[in-house]
Order: sequence, then structure tokens, then C-alpha cells
Amino acid sequence: MGTLYITQDDSYLGKTDERLTVRANKQTLLDVPLIKVDGVVVFGRSTVSPAVVIELLERNIALSFLTHTGRYLGRLEPELTKNIFVRAAQWKAIAPSEPALHLVRGFIRGKLKNYRNALLRGLREFPELSLQPALTRLEQAIAPIDTTHTIDSLRGLEGSGSAAYFGSFDALIRAEGFQFTHRNRRPPTDPVNALLSLGYALLRHDVQSAVNLVGFDPYLGYLHTQRYGRPSLALDLMEEFRPIVVDAVVLSAINRRVLSPENFETEPLSHAVSLTLEGLRSFLRLYEQKKQSKFKHPVLQTQCTYQEAFEIQARLLAKYLMGETEKYPPLVLK
Amino acid sequence: MYLVISYDIPDDKRRSKIHKVLKSYGQWMQLSVFECNLSETQYAKLRSRLSKLIKPEQDSIRFYFLCSCCQGKVERIGGEVLRDETIFFV
Repeated sequence: MGTLYITQDDSYLGKTDERLTVRANKQTLLDVPLIKVDGVVVFGRSTVSPAVVIELLERNIALSFLTHTGRYLGRLEPELTKNIFVRAAQWKAIAPSEPALHLVRGFIRGKLKNYRNALLRGLREFPELSLQPALTRLEQAIAPIDTTHTIDSLRGLEGSGSAAYFGSFDALIRAEGFQFTHRNRRPPTDPVNALLSLGYALLRHDVQSAVNLVGFDPYLGYLHTQRYGRPSLALDLMEEFRPIVVDAVVLSAINRRVLSPENFETEPLSHAVSLTLEGLRSFLRLYEQKKQSKFKHPVLQTQCTYQEAFEIQARLLAKYLMGETEKYPPLVLK
Repeated sequence: MYLVISYDIPDDKRRSKIHKVLKSYGQWMQLSVFECNLSETQYAKLRSRLSKLIKPEQDSIRFYFLCSCCQGKVERIGGEVLRDETIFFV
């Protein structure tokens, strides 16, 4: 099962028999069986035929729209699952409550511990790096998580931990022509931030699909507050995956020199940086390979892919909210 | 499960119909040979669709199942390359 990425502008998505076809300039560019597709991501403009819309909805395949540069626009969502009990449990735990506090702790602990492990890995590979101050600051943010009793102070810990991590992110970049000073977005103005933003947009497509599949209402989160049109729960669950999926892909794309500074272009007015078509394709390939790569899930003790891990974590979240388990274990990888 | 499907259908119209259905379930490898990686349900659906199309007295379709250890031993020289199903690009 794979994701279909459409980067060809003004292409036409049609259906023949039980296959998806992509046509542009009177040529058929792709013809794949629908049973092999589990997600569709459209970059830029594309026409989707009514038959495809119905077919995707019936087969529970999510369709996301991104701009050319990878900014998230929206998605076509199949019906919420009929499992009302999961949603009822989700609403009952609305903050402030003990379960909400526990989950926020879990999300933040997962994210910060993965940040710490990413830095430790950098230190193992290149012992000469001065990552120790950042690691100390991360430790200081991780230690008080269990004794903090308000969600707002937990958000503060997350902020200081992230600041420490992104403060030394530049040291992990080992290729000429790439620098990272601070995180910027909307729009990202340097190549590294452009890659991070694109990666997070793709990750959101995948995590939101998993959250929906399990039966949650993606708009009610615990760490992220309610805001019109913001899928807070998907963003919550994304936190622990940011460093292990997206940041890892971005770093390997740069450090293994899959992408070079020539793969980026700058928009003159807003200084927004984005990938060229060729660069975008190499990055998407890396991201997809990462998603399909296997590891041993530390809680379930079985082999799984990152793609499956999104759903596993969402199911663990549901189990906790329904009272079937005592704790929500965030995914922390060494 | 991994299947090799071959068919022998004298009528052109029926053959192209069968071909069209099979293309939605697997990959066309040789003139009348397909390779498909299907679940039980998908196989059942494919078989019922095909059985509605053929005339049993003239046509034949064979399904050969490969076990997972034999699947790795398939050798292919020349011709159609196996499709990468982890990512589709346009």
C-alpha cells in the first residue's frame, strides 16, 4: 500500500474500472489499482473527477491538498467512524481534567525525550560537537514534567525544551550550504525551515488519517487548544513523531547530500523558500521510505512501520481514554 | 497472497474486458499473464467479477498461488519491471 503524490500541475485524476488514472497534456501519466493506494496528496492544482471523489470516500482513502510549496490547505475526509464511544470518551476528558493532564504530559515527554535522543545520537556520531548545554537544558525541561500539574506550565516546559533543541539543530547539519539559525514558518525563509515545514505538513496528513481511522474527532485536542479549523488532536499526536520521522528525514536528506542548495528556489517578494520539482520528488521519496521502514515498537514489542505506528499510537490513546489501560505510553525511540 | 493469473480467451472483446478487470488488481507481466498481490477479500471479488465475464466452454483462467517463500524465488529476465508499490509519483 502506498501514497500517491501528485506534483504535476493541472493534472486530471480520473477513474477507469477500479483504477486511478492521472492525466495531463492528453497523456496518461499514471494508472494504479485503487487497492494499492492508501492516501492521495495533491501539490498545487489538480482536477479530481466526481467519480474519484465518491470512490475515495467509499474506500476511506484520505485526499489532502497542499500548495506548491507544501503548505497545508485542506482535505477530503471520509465519514467519521461510527465508533461513538471513542468520541464520547474523548469529549469527557476535555481539559481541565486528570486524563487531559496525563495525555499532555505524555505528548510532551515523548517529544522532548525524542529530541534528547536525537541530540545524543548526534553526539555519538560526532563527539566533538558542543551539544552538552542543550542536553542539560532539555533534561531540565524533562525532569519536572511528572510533578507539573497544570497544562499551561507543561506548555512552558515544551517551549523551553524545543528552544534548546532548535538552538543546537544547526550543529547536526553536516553539509555545505545549509544553515539553521531559528525556526521560522509561514513562509519558511531558508531551505532547512522549508524542509521542516513541508515534512510537518506531510506528517499531519498521515497522523490525521490515523486519528480519524480510530474514530476520534480530530478537532478536539488537549495540548493544542480549540481553534476554528485546527485539528488539535492530530497536532497533539504529531508531537512525538516530529523528531523521529520528519527531523530525521530532513537531516538525512541534507547530510547524505540527496538535496543540495540548487534544489531550492526563493520567491523574490516574500523570500519564501521552496523546493524545485526535482527536489520535491527526492524529498517525497525519502519521506515515504522512512514511513515504510520498520522498527521494534518498544511497548508492543513487535515489528512495525512508522506508518503503522501512527495508528498504533492513536489506538493506545483510545484505550487510555476508554479506561482500558492505566497510562498512555508515548513512542520514544532510542 | 501472491498469485500468477493466466488466461486463454479466443474472443477479442471478452479478452479485453478480462484484461481491464485484471489491471485493477495486479500488474500485467506478459501477454496473458498477470501477477497480483491480494487479500482474501480482494481475491474473492476478483474471481467473482471474472467468472461473470467468461464463457466457461471456450475460455479459461488459471490462478496459481505462490507461497511467501516461493515468491522471493521468482526470477525475471527482461520485460516488465515489478512496480514499486510504496510510493506513486506524478
